[in-house]
Amino acid sequence: MSTPTRTPAGAPSSVGGPGGRIGDDAQRPDGVLKVRGEFAYASDLWMDDMLWGVTLRSPHPYARIRSVDVGPALAVPGVHAVLTSDDVPGEKVYGLELADQPVLALDVVRYQGEPVALVAADHPDTARRAAARIVVDYDVWEPVTDARAALGHPTWNQVHDAPAAVTELSRESAHLHPHGNLVRHLKVRKGDPEPTADVVVVGEYEVGMQDQAFLGPESGLAVPGEDGGVDLYVATQWLHVDQRQICSALAMPPEKVRLTLAGVGGAFGGREDLSMHVHACLLALHTGKPVKMSYNREESFFGHVHRHPATMRYEHGATRDGDLVYVKAEIFLDGGAYASSTPAVVGNAGTMGLGPYVVPNVHVDCYGAYTNNPPCGAMRGFGSVQTAFAYEAQMDALAAELGMDPVELRCRNAMELGSETPTGQVVDSPAPVAELLRRLVAMPLPPEPATGDDVDLRHMPGGVSNTTHGEGVRRGVGYAVAYKNVAFSEGFDDYSTARVRLEVVGGEAVATVHTAAAEVGQGLVTVEQQIARTELGVDAVVVHPKDTAVGSAGSSSASRQTYVTGGAVKAACEAVRGRVLERARGLVGRPAGDLRLDGGKVVSDLEGVALPLADVLGDDAVEETVEWRHRPTQALDPDTGQGFAHVQYAFSAHRAVVDVDTELGLVKVVEMACTQDVGKAINPQAVVGQIQGGTAQGLGLAVMEEILVRDGRVQNPSFTDYLIPTVLDMPPMRIEVLEYADPHAPYGLRGVGEAPNISSGPAVLAAIRQATGLPLRRVPVRPEHLTGT
Amino acid sequence: MRPFTYLSAPDVTTALRAIATEPGARLLAGGTNLVDLMRQDVERPTTVVDISTLPLDEVQELPAGGLRIGALVRNSRLAAHPAVRSRYPVLSQAVLSGASGQLRNMATVGGNLLQRTRCPYFADGTAACNKRDPGSGCAAIGGFHRGSAVLGTSEHCIATHPSDMAVALVALDAVVEVQSLRGTRRIPLAELHVLPGDTPDVETALDPDELVTAVELPALPVAASSRYRKVRDRASFAFALVSVAAAMEVADGTVTAARLALGGVAARPWRAHLAERALVGAPATEEDFRRAATAELATAVGRPQNAFKIELARRTVVATLHQLTTEGGAA
Amino acid sequence: MAEVELRVNGTSSRVQLDPRVSLLDALRERLRLTGTKKGCDQGACGACTVLVDGERILACLALAVQYGGREITTVEGLGRPGRLHPLQEAFIRFDGFQCGFCTSGQICSAVGMLAEHRAGVPSVVTPRLAATATPLSEAEIRERMSGNLCRCGAYDGIVDAIQHVAGVDDRAATAEPAADR
Repeated sequence: MSTPTRTPAGAPSSVGGPGGRIGDDAQRPDGVLKVRGEFAYASDLWMDDMLWGVTLRSPHPYARIRSVDVGPALAVPGVHAVLTSDDVPGEKVYGLELADQPVLALDVVRYQGEPVALVAADHPDTARRAAARIVVDYDVWEPVTDARAALGHPTWNQVHDAPAAVTELSRESAHLHPHGNLVRHLKVRKGDPEPTADVVVVGEYEVGMQDQAFLGPESGLAVPGEDGGVDLYVATQWLHVDQRQICSALAMPPEKVRLTLAGVGGAFGGREDLSMHVHACLLALHTGKPVKMSYNREESFFGHVHRHPATMRYEHGATRDGDLVYVKAEIFLDGGAYASSTPAVVGNAGTMGLGPYVVPNVHVDCYGAYTNNPPCGAMRGFGSVQTAFAYEAQMDALAAELGMDPVELRCRNAMELGSETPTGQVVDSPAPVAELLRRLVAMPLPPEPATGDDVDLRHMPGGVSNTTHGEGVRRGVGYAVAYKNVAFSEGFDDYSTARVRLEVVGGEAVATVHTAAAEVGQGLVTVEQQIARTELGVDAVVVHPKDTAVGSAGSSSASRQTYVTGGAVKAACEAVRGRVLERARGLVGRPAGDLRLDGGKVVSDLEGVALPLADVLGDDAVEETVEWRHRPTQALDPDTGQGFAHVQYAFSAHRAVVDVDTELGLVKVVEMACTQDVGKAINPQAVVGQIQGGTAQGLGLAVMEEILVRDGRVQNPSFTDYLIPTVLDMPPMRIEVLEYADPHAPYGLRGVGEAPNISSGPAVLAAIRQATGLPLRRVPVRPEHLTGT
Repeated sequence: MRPFTYLSAPDVTTALRAIATEPGARLLAGGTNLVDLMRQDVERPTTVVDISTLPLDEVQELPAGGLRIGALVRNSRLAAHPAVRSRYPVLSQAVLSGASGQLRNMATVGGNLLQRTRCPYFADGTAACNKRDPGSGCAAIGGFHRGSAVLGTSEHCIATHPSDMAVALVALDAVVEVQSLRGTRRIPLAELHVLPGDTPDVETALDPDELVTAVELPALPVAASSRYRKVRDRASFAFALVSVAAAMEVADGTVTAARLALGGVAARPWRAHLAERALVGAPATEEDFRRAATAELATAVGRPQNAFKIELARRTVVATLHQLTTEGGAA
Repeated sequence: MAEVELRVNGTSSRVQLDPRVSLLDALRERLRLTGTKKGCDQGACGACTVLVDGERILACLALAVQYGGREITTVEGLGRPGRLHPLQEAFIRFDGFQCGFCTSGQICSAVGMLAEHRAGVPSVVTPRLAATATPLSEAEIRERMSGNLCRCGAYDGIVDAIQHVAGVDDRAATAEPAADR
């Protein structure tokens, strides 16, 4: 029998793989392992003497802890440790942007599911049973569950209320944190503060809380080191930001807290924050044994942050001809109990919240609030997903009011190269927004739905078992555009580190690429190989396991890794190449100005030279480590929200075609078409995969996905009750990828992953609105919203 | 999961003896519902009696023209059986519209009938639930109840029965055969599940020592023209918001026979006798279908989140009957 | 504790198991066959799909003691050493995954699904239920594979991979009747 080793040494390293350079459909180096079931995900790690850690979580959304008695748990045979906040040696709070979240609950719990205590035992059932015996005495408080109430802002009573400037926060709820309930308020002010327009449309919109729902729940294995430190093998998005926070909690220097990426079963933003990281390390250090922690699906719903639910009010003013005059917007994001990345999400929602349109007069207030709801933070699209539902609905409403074609209205106001954004930034790379839309319009539409005897029920909403016969089915077509910053913004020092080595092994030239950039499924390891092959002219590229032995790569988020880590790998390869060519020049003894690396040789066509690398390097390895940065960005002006805050923008557009059974409220998305400018498709097949995946997640939010929270309690923490799209819900796609190079980016590339997640849902909503004539101001849309029942 | 004694029953008598003598015994067949609930600490058997290898897995022709379906026939086998597909297509469709291919390969006919509600509070040990913990209250009534029942509810419970298969079976006049050491008896499927009333924890008419051994379908010519329709939040692999099993015969524009049942709306698969009575003899028009559905739903009680189900059920009935008149059954 | 004979991928082992242990945990933690994944542990995602006597089931809802002596095939048992199963190959070729966590279950499910289809098992989208054989259209594949969630959204690649393999399998089979597109 095959018994694959699942010790930490088996953590996935991507070796070799078939060839492929920049622009090729290179196959992923981890592909064979994955289809054979041999890829070691975090939950597959195993050491024979390991213990299992479990977390006791608060059943209450808001309560004071009077006391915790761990005695009964410690008495359970097989239990090795029971820990509370008293056992956290360093800083007792952590956070991505603000350190406000307890490693283990201090005196107050602020959300249902907040970790209170930890147990390590020799069997997971023993640990769970012991955790259930911990006695926690709670003084239960009334939770704050509405973001606007938390900030003391009245709800909008009528659609035509003037968009009040909210500065008065006197009516806010009791403070959940010492610094109040406001996480961030971003103001964007541009142009005339009191603009007037021929045509005005006002709308209020709501977006529910979406879950990342990655298939591989949180998991990791912490192994105590002989130096008193700890090695953590974990599925994550950013090893070094984890390391920083773990070091702080453990009061240890970075050299004693070593992280290695274990196989990641999807991320989508949900692994940006810590989950079991510090907990497993604490238990391992206390027991002196390896400790594995793996969440089950229910715990996973409590173990990571979600997409912020949003309440938004928009007012668009335009001329009779359809030129946007102004947009006023109030955006409330419910950040839940702890800050997580709410400040950055507010930054995105506020600066990107008007869409890729030229708007001369802007008045935006975007708020992130603390409540006792589940903490919210990063999810693919990061603040732009919520606002896109609103601004695109507004554009359609405005087009209707003007009697214009909605695509024409968008094209008329579309950003382009040289445009100024609402935050005063001049767009300095291609922005083919109008072209993306026009290409969608030019794509053939799927055949009209059949009626009468010709109807094929399998193609009707809900499929054969639950559709009408076609008579109540109406078709709708909708368009939407995405606008998303790529990489980290607002002056953040965004960089990645790459170490590249070139050597000759067994007669073959081999490059090794070592970065800490997390492969989460997006295919970054493939891109790293492609870049090294292209720059160093070799076929064999080993991708070193991702760990903290090399400098930070930043997060696998914000559509940034191909740009930033790709840029770092390219720069490191160039440095290696420079040294190798320098050596070769010495060997050739002539100027050889055209020396290059190709096919494992140093080649000069001018001199007719083709030196095998073995002759140039001998037994030496040439290695370079490079820290690479994109152009610096700037903080936004605190009063006006103006500034060069974003290094690059991503644009995609979707056309959705839906059939809606208006009798039974069923929606069938017949086809999704997407156009996206990616600057340069480093791996075209992977680009298509990102577009398909982002489209699916956007479609899910549009028509089915929502974490239902009532009185601060999650009602549906399971895949039975939180539904994500199946293969039957996803229609076939038409995809056109444009490649207009960004002169500022490596290879001219543009970040890919998030934009399609932003434009797909609003396009589906637009199509459903067109089919039904209903306003549909809240997502997800469910059958009862379409039947009028 | 709590510890239990595992007993693999070699024959029916052993299984019957075990459940007759062990108060904490539970029968295990496909396991798709019981294992999940044991893991969630909702089901806490002290003995698990594995009946999955008992010889109750055949579909047999009955002399009078019906079918006898063993309680351990897997859902996928039932749906694929040629006699079911041709003579009772609504049953095939109902089974195939439930769960997933993998689950249908595991789940049995008996287990499908006896599966517990999917009300989220039933599976949430921290929530009030009179079904799980009698006297604790019903968290769904004041809480999240979008999926809850609108027919036959009580102030103590508004849970639904989640089966698709049972909705078709109840429309087809199925009879359940149950055995105990005391003998064999037959219960119309329409009487197997009981409404919550004051005792939501009592879900069926079975005694604790009884084992469902078979389901019998009578010969039912009208069933050849039958369909199952299911409205749900996702195109597949989701429980019904509302479902309809219908069989109907029409002659000269008049309904001559009708069988109708609703799913997703009550604690039992809801046989719609009132609607059937209104249908038979009436013209086969959408207006009459609507009138019949309205008669059935007259006693329905909606709550803020699930009131939509009443009109949705009405429309699904009309749409299903209309489909039967225009294109016949699913076969 | 019960002694159970687990026959997995052609190899038999006798293991002492608590009857509470699921087939999934027995595979992963006793036999260290971690290719089969635990995505939800409640029968709602399909990541733990394995084949028992050639039929696809969910290992998370199966108690291991119930499956003693049955022929169990996991993703590790597909293909041969040095040679991938055609579906494994097709999943790579058609990019049928990203993170790969659902892939073992997708592939095992597809193997079982193709066998079900060959055996004439209908699906809810089968146009004529009474017909004994139905062509494996894209709609059929999607419906029959809907018990396997993929959050990365690699569904098009999954369908392409299965269609490719099914096409190879069915080359000699009957042509699609006009009714089916």
